[in-house]
Amino acid sequence: MRIILGYGNDLRGEDAFGVDVIKLLKEHHLKDTILMDLYQLTPELCLELQDAKEIIFIDAGFSSCDQYSLACNLQGEGETKLSHHISPKVIISLLNNVYEKYPKYEIYSMLTDEFDKIDDEKKYKSCVEKIKDELIKDCIL
Amino acid sequence: MEKIVIDPVTRIEGHAKITIDLNDQGKVDDARIHVTQYRGFEKMCEGRPYTEMPALTARTCGICPVSHVISSTKACDELLAVRPPKAARNIRRIVNLAQILQSHALNFYHLSAPDFVYGFDASPEDRNIFKMMQTHPDMAKDGIKLRAFGQKIIAELAGKRIHPEWIVPGGISHQITDEQRDRILSQIPEAMDIAKRTAKYFLNNVHKFQKEIDNLGNFPSLFMGLVNKKGNLEHYDGLLRFVDANGTVIENGLDPKDYKKYIGEAVEEDSFLKSPYYKPMGYPNGMYRVGPLARLNVANRCGTPEADSEFDNFKNINNGKPVLNSFYYHYARIIEIIYCIERIEKMLKDPKTMDTNIRSHADINRKKAVGCSEAPRGTLFHDYEVNDHGIITGVNLIIATGNNNLAMNAGVKQVAQSFITDKSTLTDGNLNRVEAVIRCFDPCLSCSTHALGVVSSRIEVRDHNKQIIDVIKRT
Repeated sequence: MRIILGYGNDLRGEDAFGVDVIKLLKEHHLKDTILMDLYQLTPELCLELQDAKEIIFIDAGFSSCDQYSLACNLQGEGETKLSHHISPKVIISLLNNVYEKYPKYEIYSMLTDEFDKIDDEKKYKSCVEKIKDELIKDCIL
Repeated sequence: MEKIVIDPVTRIEGHAKITIDLNDQGKVDDARIHVTQYRGFEKMCEGRPYTEMPALTARTCGICPVSHVISSTKACDELLAVRPPKAARNIRRIVNLAQILQSHALNFYHLSAPDFVYGFDASPEDRNIFKMMQTHPDMAKDGIKLRAFGQKIIAELAGKRIHPEWIVPGGISHQITDEQRDRILSQIPEAMDIAKRTAKYFLNNVHKFQKEIDNLGNFPSLFMGLVNKKGNLEHYDGLLRFVDANGTVIENGLDPKDYKKYIGEAVEEDSFLKSPYYKPMGYPNGMYRVGPLARLNVANRCGTPEADSEFDNFKNINNGKPVLNSFYYHYARIIEIIYCIERIEKMLKDPKTMDTNIRSHADINRKKAVGCSEAPRGTLFHDYEVNDHGIITGVNLIIATGNNNLAMNAGVKQVAQSFITDKSTLTDGNLNRVEAVIRCFDPCLSCSTHALGVVSSRIEVRDHNKQIIDVIKRT
């Protein structure tokens, strides 16, 4: 089973990227896939991710340049960042070390430095569509 | 004079910077926490209908939305001049306790536990949640389970884990079902086992931290919190009580709506966080503490058997007098977790909680109202003014963390002066202790200044000319 998880605040602007991708994906029937939209990642999310063979995180990532570029890696994540909301890396580490689960995982990010509004509606929508298309490619019923 | 700056302060909510000023002998002259973020919800809410306030103010923070919803709806109840039906009050109480429980669990297991497990002097590479996962997976699992227990209650009874919408002016919008009640009750035994295990762990290990107990925010101050009619622990209703460092009750039975008579709000140039103080003693002498430690210091008892058993241990720490050491915020949090579980169980078993009458309806009957409740970090005030049409014309918020601002500053100064005696003591372990005193208070700066942006913190060390000589940054 695969879990696709988009997170962000849909009352803000480009911060809602992950949530907007999930909204589009919900219009499709995806095989063996659970879609989740969340404001933020929290430790107890692990309990819902335990049985996933693959986890895909979708969010808006900060970058002061390359706005609307798409990225997909976990390299930029600080290891010790910990608060009441956490990063995909902490979630994966919790699954590995605490629950002994080793799902495949990927992160799809749209880079932006504007989280509170949508700078360019056309480019933003194009990014949402691109990720949606990428994700449904292999799993439409 | 040299200045040390800790920026960002880690394992807290929001942005903060700590500055440590050294004198020309290299000793700590002063130390302060600066909250470096601003949002301005009080102004933003003006012009909005009062009915929007619970949802709007919940957006103050993704961590404590339930606390804001509770205080906000209580203020709205006052504007309508209604008392919500018993079932609604019970559900609100349960949701509020679930919020306190899940927040306390995260602070203890995931933010503060690395210090307890590895010690304050462990290297930063080892002193974090990743190491905890490897060496103490069961403890990490306990923290996750307790958090999930609280979050699921919020989702079940208030609609969503974050920014819940079913708590509304006049009551609640959804009645609890038998299935929901039974589902929550079935998880109580495991939650209680975890909480008791945690209390045991703390008591078995606390002796290792005598230096920190003595120096991390250990000073006389006032304490403030809500108490019920019996003078016991209270988080939803009740009246305010102030006690002094000797345990003398200096104010009792204060109606929260009169808070301005007792609480002043000072503003410092170097921080966006207001500094509330007990008015009769003036600023800054009127420093008081709120939150779990303060609540247990002002209460006569908890009022539930298991929590009272721990409360007896707590009271023995200072021979029945208020516990002044901020390090014991951690123990107070565990006791409150136990209390929350007991109270949630009791209210779920109360047949009145299942009643179908869940909301009172009315139009605007008052132009001013104050809603007050205990949030995880302390007493929270929402003060609204409206016009004839229920449009908000004025808002004042005193956030739990803000109440502790003076005490957090006093704590930072004390720990810096105790551990940083010369340049050779400018070690990562000692700077971690400076941050740790802030973690004792578990501040939510996102709430208290209505933060915008990413979480980060910074420590700056400044010399006697206020020139920065060292900076520690964490992201």
